[in-house]
Amino acid sequence: MKKLIFAASALVLSVSLVAAADDPIAVRQALMESNAASAGVAAAMLKGEMDYSPVVAKAAINALHATALAFGDYFPEGSETGGDTTASPKIWENMEGFQEAVTKFQTDSAAAAEASGKDGPADLEAFKAAITPVLGNCRGCHEDFRIQRN
Amino acid sequence: MASGDAGRGERIFWAGGCTSCHARPKAEGDARLELAGGLQLKTPFGTFTAPNISSHPEDGIGSWSVDDFANAMLRGVSPEGRHYYPSFPYTSYTRMEPQDVADLFAFMKTLPAVEGKTDGHELSFPYNLRRGIGLWKLAYMRQEPIISLPDNAPEAVRRGRYLVEVPGHCGECHTPRLFTGGPRLDQWLAGGRALEGEGTVPNITPHEDGLADWSETDIAYYLESGFTPDFDSVGGAMVAVQQNMAQLPDEDRQAIAAYLKAVPARANGYKRANGEQ
Repeated sequence: MKKLIFAASALVLSVSLVAAADDPIAVRQALMESNAASAGVAAAMLKGEMDYSPVVAKAAINALHATALAFGDYFPEGSETGGDTTASPKIWENMEGFQEAVTKFQTDSAAAAEASGKDGPADLEAFKAAITPVLGNCRGCHEDFRIQRN
Repeated sequence: MASGDAGRGERIFWAGGCTSCHARPKAEGDARLELAGGLQLKTPFGTFTAPNISSHPEDGIGSWSVDDFANAMLRGVSPEGRHYYPSFPYTSYTRMEPQDVADLFAFMKTLPAVEGKTDGHELSFPYNLRRGIGLWKLAYMRQEPIISLPDNAPEAVRRGRYLVEVPGHCGECHTPRLFTGGPRLDQWLAGGRALEGEGTVPNITPHEDGLADWSETDIAYYLESGFTPDFDSVGGAMVAVQQNMAQLPDEDRQAIAAYLKAVPARANGYKRANGEQ
């Protein structure tokens, strides 16, 4: 657990360092890595590899929610290529559709944050119900707006 | 053909991914069982449009016999005796067990009849000449498995080979193609350039360019949940495929994983595909 919290704070630190560099591609990639870290913790609990903890569940949900609120702001014109981006050109061809997908992510993550309350979801079932719709946004958005390049 | 069992056919339906191309684009939930067609595949050969294969008697395949269906699946031939284009992956389906074909047909009979014919394919010369497909078939339709396995190969690996090579038709995207459109079997599952648009389709052999770092459990979990071991998520055309794989019994996902760890490891296929790089 301590390791996890340490990793989470290291991640926040690295986000602020690249933000200073004013590089939207690096920022959105770091936000995505934060999403992956949250999904990883969530899945570990859902799969039973890690004991359920309401406070960790709340951290995962709130990290996803914070990312959802910020993410859509890091796709300005001019950031279509470079920095190993896997963002699809469809984002800029269909910015409205992309922002709709971001809004759906925000709506779902806000609902999960709301449901998790002050102390986090009471049990694994409640956590699963709260986070499953949020995680569905990963594939929903990646279906159209991410390109496989490796 | 023997008569089919719709319950068993549903498993083949998900393994075969029929709905990924034949449901309306972006269909969700039960709409994925309405096989109205309409999805367009924009490829270097031209634009293919998936037809209506619902149980509608005029616009779909509702008037077909099981033998008509078997001819389409196993030989790539329509009830009128015309060649289908191999965008319909009969090059893989040709090795299906006849009972699986009959079961699949029985299941598809239970799905809704949807009105409406789709537009035809729009292909560029010379691919618009349907007669050429006969030759193409002679070259690429094969009845033997792609990967030969030792006699003592575990049952899961054999089952996985069937699911991946035949109904799952994974190699159609994950194997690079020759300029003719035929698969490069010496690069089986080594990844390729995306046939549609930009980007690549990943190498899924056990090479370090591919799934070397993934355990069988990781592969099965990805097919079930859509998450990689790093908790990146499934994307692109694989989203629809993964949704199908999630409908399979866990033993089938485990079998696919066992086979993918048993195929020869290959470096990425797409650098060398089509003479690029």
